[in-house]
Amino acid sequence: MSEKKATIFDIGRYRNADGPGIRTIIFFKGCPLRCKWCCNPFGLSRKRQLVVNPFKCTGCGSCAQVCRQNCNTVSAETHKVITDFSRCVLCGDCIVPCQVNARSLSGDEYTARELYQEAGKDRAFYRRGGGGVTLSGGEVLYQWEVASETLRLCRQDGMNCCIETSAFAPWEHLWAVARYCNTVFVDLKHIDSGKHQELTGVPNERILENMAKLCEELPKLAGRVIVRLPIVPGYNDDNESIAGAADFVSHLAHHPEINLLPYHDLGATKYEMIGETYALTDVESRKKKDPRLQELLTLCQTHAPDNRVSLGGEAIDPKG
Amino acid sequence: MSNATCSTATLGQNLRAGTVAKVGSTKRIQELNGMLHGNRPNVDITRAKVYTKVYRETEGMPPMMRRYKASAAVYRAMSDTVYDHEQLVGWPTKRIRGANFAIELHAHWLADDLVNLRNREYDPFEITDEDYEALEKDLLPYWKDKTMAVQWGHYVTEHEWNRAQFGGVSDVSNYLCANGSHFIPAWTDVIEHGFVKYYEEAKQLLAALDPNDPTAIDKRIFYNGIIEVLEAIRDWGERMSASCSRKAAEEKDPVRKQELEKMADMMKRVPWGPATSFYDAIETAWAVCFFLFVEGAGPSITWGRIDQYLYPYYKADVEKGILTPESAMELIEELYIRVNTNVWFQSSQMAYIFGGYYRYPHLDLGGLDENGKDATNELSYLFLRAMRYARTTAPTVSLMLHQKTPDSLLREACELAAEGMGHPSFFNVESLYTMLEHRAAGPDGYSNYTRKEIMKYGSPIGCVEPGVEGRQYGHTDSGIINVAGAALMAVTNGVMPIESDNMFAGKLLTFETGAPDSFKTFDEFYAAVKAQVKYAIEECHSNLVICEKLLAEQFNLPTFTVLLDGALEKAKDATAGGAKVNIGPTMQMVGFATMADSVAAIKKVVFDDKEATLQEVCDACMNNFKGYDALRAKLLAAPKFGNDDDYVDTIAADLWKWFSDCTIRLKMYRGHYCDAAIQMVQSNVGYGAMTGATPNGRLAGMPISDTMSATQQADTHGPTAAARSYGKLDYGAYSNGTLLNMWISQTEMIEQ
Repeated sequence: MSEKKATIFDIGRYRNADGPGIRTIIFFKGCPLRCKWCCNPFGLSRKRQLVVNPFKCTGCGSCAQVCRQNCNTVSAETHKVITDFSRCVLCGDCIVPCQVNARSLSGDEYTARELYQEAGKDRAFYRRGGGGVTLSGGEVLYQWEVASETLRLCRQDGMNCCIETSAFAPWEHLWAVARYCNTVFVDLKHIDSGKHQELTGVPNERILENMAKLCEELPKLAGRVIVRLPIVPGYNDDNESIAGAADFVSHLAHHPEINLLPYHDLGATKYEMIGETYALTDVESRKKKDPRLQELLTLCQTHAPDNRVSLGGEAIDPKG
Repeated sequence: MSNATCSTATLGQNLRAGTVAKVGSTKRIQELNGMLHGNRPNVDITRAKVYTKVYRETEGMPPMMRRYKASAAVYRAMSDTVYDHEQLVGWPTKRIRGANFAIELHAHWLADDLVNLRNREYDPFEITDEDYEALEKDLLPYWKDKTMAVQWGHYVTEHEWNRAQFGGVSDVSNYLCANGSHFIPAWTDVIEHGFVKYYEEAKQLLAALDPNDPTAIDKRIFYNGIIEVLEAIRDWGERMSASCSRKAAEEKDPVRKQELEKMADMMKRVPWGPATSFYDAIETAWAVCFFLFVEGAGPSITWGRIDQYLYPYYKADVEKGILTPESAMELIEELYIRVNTNVWFQSSQMAYIFGGYYRYPHLDLGGLDENGKDATNELSYLFLRAMRYARTTAPTVSLMLHQKTPDSLLREACELAAEGMGHPSFFNVESLYTMLEHRAAGPDGYSNYTRKEIMKYGSPIGCVEPGVEGRQYGHTDSGIINVAGAALMAVTNGVMPIESDNMFAGKLLTFETGAPDSFKTFDEFYAAVKAQVKYAIEECHSNLVICEKLLAEQFNLPTFTVLLDGALEKAKDATAGGAKVNIGPTMQMVGFATMADSVAAIKKVVFDDKEATLQEVCDACMNNFKGYDALRAKLLAAPKFGNDDDYVDTIAADLWKWFSDCTIRLKMYRGHYCDAAIQMVQSNVGYGAMTGATPNGRLAGMPISDTMSATQQADTHGPTAAARSYGKLDYGAYSNGTLLNMWISQTEMIEQ
């Protein structure tokens, strides 16, 4: 039997977020949630996808000439190529002819050993700053078998291992991956299950349950949990929601650290590239200095006095 | 729009007036910095006049005697101006930022180009009307058919001369205009003993000569010449002392008066005699540096391990209570400012390739001592900190890194790096030592250096060349091989594409390695690439040995010679082999990544994927990809060096080794072997302009890849992936140094 493979949409080297030091971040493709603000839309679908960058496109029409499905037409109005994604059969013929590298296929298959080899390439750079590998997505637990084996290999090799997850998965799947982690970043997108369903497409009971269990279990293996609250203006940034979330976290075992993640719209343009539309066009990005964020930081700290609370994903303390 | 233009122009004027450049740790340094920036590069014809006079008066004398007399006469003619605020003494020219240029090297092109000198696009120079006329009417006509480059022309055909000057693949045009360069004098010795030591030594050796020994004939001329030059240096010191005294007598401010008296006193001691304090030692370091810049015409007079040989003086003075770290740093800042006065004077063609006036003075900090212990001291920190205040382009401040470098020194260096001025350079001493062990030693050989010598005195010179204080001489930055062009020649069967700005466009430039359709396999094509590289190297070598012979006979350098360990005893001039290790000339590779990417693109598109024929690639390059957009896209999509991709990295590593294998087996005129290097910082633009389209998808005239770095914008997988690609190359084989340029955006820095 051939080894199981995972679909990966990006491997980023020399990254400085989602864990300490210099990191390689592996993005798993496919996610059971549909958060309205998702900044990695390539990670939503489990399938391979054609990605077209309209900003790079010069409208030369090379892709239209080679496409056998007639997906591509040059717009007389904008002088850019309009791609009909529904007809695309992912043959890849249009990738190389594009002279400005505007087209690519997202989603390559890797075995756990291959992912471990990719992560290991930058081993020399991890050492000094406690860097390593972070599995992100999409939702890493969607492909938990390969993720678990990848982290087992990486951890065995002395790399720092982290995952970033929604925790929306059976506990067994979560634990199979999390047990090899130094740090697990888990999102708490809304404390109210109804609202959670509305914003992400799924309820939050299982997430809260998993989170509580994880905070209990992971510290036993010297790992730690960091709970992340994405703060999306107008959607989940009211005092009541944040205070509720902080209250919940404050009752979890071992006082997990809380990161408040300011909203950014960097993912907005990516939707167009895969022929979809972004839902949150009316929300503005916030800087860390924003007074509202400072207010929420204080609020959160009041409701979770024993937990370390910070703004931004990079602000984690480097130990572990 | 007009507003923006206006403000830029104002900034330019303010810079020239020195008003925005008044930076430094003290008022004195700020004023001196303003004075430096208040002067634009200008031509000083003192040296040209002296040389012409001496050469006219000495016709018929032995060539070495004429050179030595001219050198001595230049020191006697040097300006004795003392400016306000300064603590160090002596300037190489009448005006600050003057070029006391070597007319005996430059006259052949300058005679035709003098009219453009004030307004040329790169490196324009100011010149007074009077000096202009003297050059035009008197000096240039005398020299224009006597320069080294003209004489080299007597040894080769016109076709060969053109190829080596304008072909842009195997280039020696840099060499004969920049001799007397790339040198770390015996600093420890000259600071400790002064020039008087060499004077005594020369006198004794002269007295001991046996007049009946036939080999002693030339030695007598040698010693007499050296003595004459050293006397001129002694007299220069006395003249400067007198000048300081005169100025002190006129000075009203009692504090400044005292300073000037101190300067007058110092100039009686150094550089002629031993330094007795840190102040003396810095003055010797300054004076010797500009003597060499005036006597030689090239770049890279290097201070070497200055924090090591100055430290005993610093320590003693601090203990005595006559020096504080702050006052030491002020002297260092003044040294930095002064060394910027040495501008590099180059032909218009070379200014296009090396432009910016920068003359590559260099100093090295940190490193190991002769026993392998960390050598860091307080001065290592002060030299780094001084640059953060003085903020000058020169000298190149560099740090010799090793496993035992203290974190605090590394942090200080990174703080300087974060200022964004290009300081400091970082060198790995382990690679440096390996390079020095094989310096000029040929295939599998070992150099004459001992390990202790390397560890105590070894450091980078100029750009990146490994050198050893007082033991090595050679113009290292000499033959230039454009390997991007050479690889292109393997595709076009030796013809430079018609679509290129090159004297040989559409003509045979190198030699025929086979028509594009004659290669059946990748290996056959690859052999042709290697043959073209080898051909370019060998052609360059044949030209360089001629140059070396000419220089040894006619371009002697007495001040360089006395500062070489053992040269006086051997009675051999630096140019004739007086050094313990005689370097080069060496071969520099330009366009490395362009070559590697080109070969990999052909392997992928033509031989592996079979999406095009080599004939089509050749036609595409010949036509600068006009009508070959689809093919160009395929070539651009092939793997590129700098992404940790073995498909291209193995080709790169193999061609890297091939280049050094070809160079290091070539023996040079002075007996040692040729070294390989890859270090050209900006010439990739000039050579790119002369090179037709290349098979990696680069269009004609665009820059080729710089230094040993990945092709511009081709390294898309981040700095760690790029570093892994660079890590696959064999650095020990490049005994003349390697250079990597990597830029990381400030927002992407990861705190460790």
